[in-house]
Amino acid sequence: MSAESKPEDIRIGVFVCHCGLNIAGVVNVKEVTEWARTLPNVVFAIDNRYTCSDPGQEEIKDAIKKYDLNRVVVAACSPRMHEFTFRRTVAEAGLNPYLFEMANIREHCSWAHPSYPKEATEKAKEIIKMAVAKARLLTPLEPIKVPVTPAALVIGGGIAGINAALELAEMGFKVYLLERKESIGGHMAQLDKTFPTLDCSICIEGPKMVDVARHPNIEIISFADLMKVEGYIGNFTVKIRKNPRYVLEDKCTGCGECVPVCPIEYPNEWDMNLGVRKAISVPFPQAVPLIYRINRDYCIECYKCVDACGPRQAIDFNQKPEEIELKVGAIIVATGYDIYIPEDGNLYGYGKYANVITSLEFERLILAAGPTGGHVVRASDGKQPRSIAFIQCVGSRDVNKYPYCSNFCCMYTLKHTIQLKEHYGDDVDVYVFYMDLRSHFKGYEEFYQRAREMGVNFIRGRVSRIEEDPKTKNLIIYAEDTFLGEPITLEAEMVVLATAAVPSKGSEELARLLNIPRGTDGFFLESHPKLKPLDTPVDGIFLAGACQGPKDIPYSVAQGCGAASRAATILSKSYVTIEPIVSVIDPDKCRNTQVKCGICAMKCPYGAIKAEPGKPAVVIAAMCHGCGTCVAECPADAITQMHFTDAQILAQIDAALENNPEDKILGICCNWCAYAGADLAGTSRYEYPPNIRIVRVMCSGRVDRDFVLYAFKKGAGMVLIGACHPYDCHYIDGNLKMKVRMEALAKALEKLGLTPDRLRIEYVSAAEGIKFAQIVREMAAKLKELGRERIIAENEKLRPHLERMLSRKK
Amino acid sequence: MPVKLVKNEDANSLLLERIMYTKRYTLFLDRSRCVGCELCELACPKEAIKIAKPSELKHLEEPPKRITASILEDKCNFCGICSEICIFGAFKQSINGKDFVPVLESESFPKVIHEVKVDESKCPPGCRICEEACPLHLINVKFSPEGKVIKVDVDKEHCPGCRICEIKCPYDAIHTRKIITGVISINTSLCPEGCRDCVDACPIPGVLFIADNGKVGINELFCVYCGACRKACPVNGAIDLRRVSIYHERVKSGAWNKALEKLTSTLDMSKELRSKSGLKAYDSVKRLHVRRL
Repeated sequence: MSAESKPEDIRIGVFVCHCGLNIAGVVNVKEVTEWARTLPNVVFAIDNRYTCSDPGQEEIKDAIKKYDLNRVVVAACSPRMHEFTFRRTVAEAGLNPYLFEMANIREHCSWAHPSYPKEATEKAKEIIKMAVAKARLLTPLEPIKVPVTPAALVIGGGIAGINAALELAEMGFKVYLLERKESIGGHMAQLDKTFPTLDCSICIEGPKMVDVARHPNIEIISFADLMKVEGYIGNFTVKIRKNPRYVLEDKCTGCGECVPVCPIEYPNEWDMNLGVRKAISVPFPQAVPLIYRINRDYCIECYKCVDACGPRQAIDFNQKPEEIELKVGAIIVATGYDIYIPEDGNLYGYGKYANVITSLEFERLILAAGPTGGHVVRASDGKQPRSIAFIQCVGSRDVNKYPYCSNFCCMYTLKHTIQLKEHYGDDVDVYVFYMDLRSHFKGYEEFYQRAREMGVNFIRGRVSRIEEDPKTKNLIIYAEDTFLGEPITLEAEMVVLATAAVPSKGSEELARLLNIPRGTDGFFLESHPKLKPLDTPVDGIFLAGACQGPKDIPYSVAQGCGAASRAATILSKSYVTIEPIVSVIDPDKCRNTQVKCGICAMKCPYGAIKAEPGKPAVVIAAMCHGCGTCVAECPADAITQMHFTDAQILAQIDAALENNPEDKILGICCNWCAYAGADLAGTSRYEYPPNIRIVRVMCSGRVDRDFVLYAFKKGAGMVLIGACHPYDCHYIDGNLKMKVRMEALAKALEKLGLTPDRLRIEYVSAAEGIKFAQIVREMAAKLKELGRERIIAENEKLRPHLERMLSRKK
Repeated sequence: MPVKLVKNEDANSLLLERIMYTKRYTLFLDRSRCVGCELCELACPKEAIKIAKPSELKHLEEPPKRITASILEDKCNFCGICSEICIFGAFKQSINGKDFVPVLESESFPKVIHEVKVDESKCPPGCRICEEACPLHLINVKFSPEGKVIKVDVDKEHCPGCRICEIKCPYDAIHTRKIITGVISINTSLCPEGCRDCVDACPIPGVLFIADNGKVGINELFCVYCGACRKACPVNGAIDLRRVSIYHERVKSGAWNKALEKLTSTLDMSKELRSKSGLKAYDSVKRLHVRRL
């Protein structure tokens, strides 16, 4: 390690943050600061109420100049929160930004251990000690510059995606708008009216859809699937499969003459299966692009459409799926939501009783261009119902189904009730069963008042069950009126269920393709709920609209425009910088010169390493994502990951285990999932025992066998390796490589006499704070159960073996 | 809304319904008319029909006693081809309660012609020979009070065109035309000892019979070439049945060509295509003449 031999005098400054009372309320900040001053190489230490504030940052800059600091440690919140902020601060003071290190004493300490202020203070000290130990070995690094492709991919052509695409195109960037279905438009195109203005939905969205189609900078790729995404910010390579429509895009004029001659009808999914469409058709007349499609699942190949198409020759039954490759600099995910269809049959009789429908189906019923021509009729007898009951929160706000609020159901139900009253007046009685009515944006509360004034009956209470009158097919609703405080029954001729909005189909697969996380609710997870609502943890990939959580139209439009602006911040530059935390191979140590090794090239998830026979392996820096898997796999220890060197991590382990190691749990957690999960445990205030010390690595793939061996040699009570869930790894499969490596090691250690529970490998996602806390609780309990004596004895017995194993490579 | 597919079946009927909010598609199979032949199974473009042995319909409370058609509800797209190709008229396709065959409407499938012509003036008073001869009881002779034949009602929809009535009529009063023509032969050397499955399966009595030598004999004159015998035969290749043509109205449809190819053979299908192109040439020449005039 070059850092160790560096002759320069290392001068470290430590800045301990109170974070108001967030840290200072639990940890004795003054004591910690005093103590930090005693650490070797620390020449300056000070506490501050808010280090991230302007004066706090100024203080750092001043101290760097005044005390000639060449390393800075800030003990505050999670590096996932403010590492970037402080790197910029030190850079402004003329210091290389990579000579900065953060000690996470908020999420991982004060927030997680409010009941143990004394232990938390001790833990804070050690966390700072670990950071200082690493800081001592930091080396200056220069960011890597890579060129940017000035084009964007927008995934999903709903109202959010449409706006994102239009905005970017207007700024002058090439945009590819990818849509899985035949037409863009999304759910908004299915709606009749929009709340609270009662504008016709397709009348306001239709022109936007046409704008997209006409824009010279936008290319719509519809009826296509995303197959693969490779690359990094500024330089993504995207593979897309265009599914065959059997109608040629460039030849179809959209005249529709093929439709009347087609004999086959099938349920139109776009119409919520209420109506039908022909085997050759478009899902709705305003479809964009207006290209007809033959559904070969239903087509009987009579070729009547071929005749009708005639000289246009747009129909090609031999069309094959086509794969295309695009190069883009940024990606916006706008895949929206799906409506929960309670097909299980036991939820309010949907699917079992003919006159129980969902709101989206009601939307198609009341729509003038819908299958019934805008007449609200019952499925059982085709008659207009004289009483309709709306039931809110079906599936949503339900701990057994979807615990979250679906955001827009209250408002669309109000819209439906007003529409009914406008259409049918006193001919229809309208009832709404609700838990809480949420009308929280501009004009929404007035809309609610309007519904009340029109004579809609609002009943506060949950419906317990619905029964069908077998003769009349009317529905008998059993509910509780919480205002009356008693159970009620009500007979309605039709029931409309406001069902939950759920993540759109394929979200899981998309998350995997893009390596972006999802929350426990299944919606995509933003980088920060307040400050980075449009960003994903992957640089260059942004979120817009309901794919991040249910949103109504104005909110989705705003997000679409916002995401476009976020993407433009990348696309408008000719270069982006990539963090220089890449791997570097020491050609003198590389074995590939003598034997056919190439393990690193084989293990690299990105193919960023070239190992030609007879030559030392080389890392292509721009392709390296900095997971460090190769470093851990290299049998000759010839690879170093910058900023996460073996020496730095071992120094952190050393610092963590200097005092009472047998009482401690050493955690090595990946930045994206387990470390973030630990952050969330703190943020959510899930308390867990304070005897864990966490070392952050970018990917669990970086976890070298040596780290574990070294920790046990140092006398660690337990070791926890925290990784992403098997297919959620942010570096494709670094976690699986770690798993193979660690399972083999665990077996070997077990044979040498290590109690199996002392080495744990756990998958914790960024959303699983509660799981992280639970794991630490379990481990601490186990540690107590085993007892100090036994652990010390076991470690003594193991030590010679560990020393032998650690020295083998040297 | 989930599309409701309801299948109700018993030994005598099968009712398949696709119930949607605005439309109701129904396909009804009258199993008492179904002879278990192979026409619908071959013609169905979606392979939604399977000719099932009684053992394959064990899930029914009272399984049918003979081979019969069965519909796979998730494959059927209610095109109506089966209802047209079944020469016994066992299928009925309807939409919203009205008989409606989509493929006929769009001329994606031809109308199969059931031709029976009766010249009642030739009928002698009191004669019921044709009525008694019809093996499927489709003829009903109506008499005036004096005993004169005033009308011979033939249920053409269900008539497979065996021509027994025509042959049996001594007065040359009834004329029919075979719907399907073809050739059939049985390699009796392959027949298992004592097997008479084909004889039992044949819907037209007298076409197949056990001859004096104990082997199966054929009287091809009345054969409707439905293929029920082949479906029933336990030995592969013992019955050689080849359909040559199907009497139908002229249409231009890929679906028909495909069905025809499966029902007859590639050769016979291409023959029809050739004759069609001949007719097309004839039509255009005729149009030319009209213009010249």
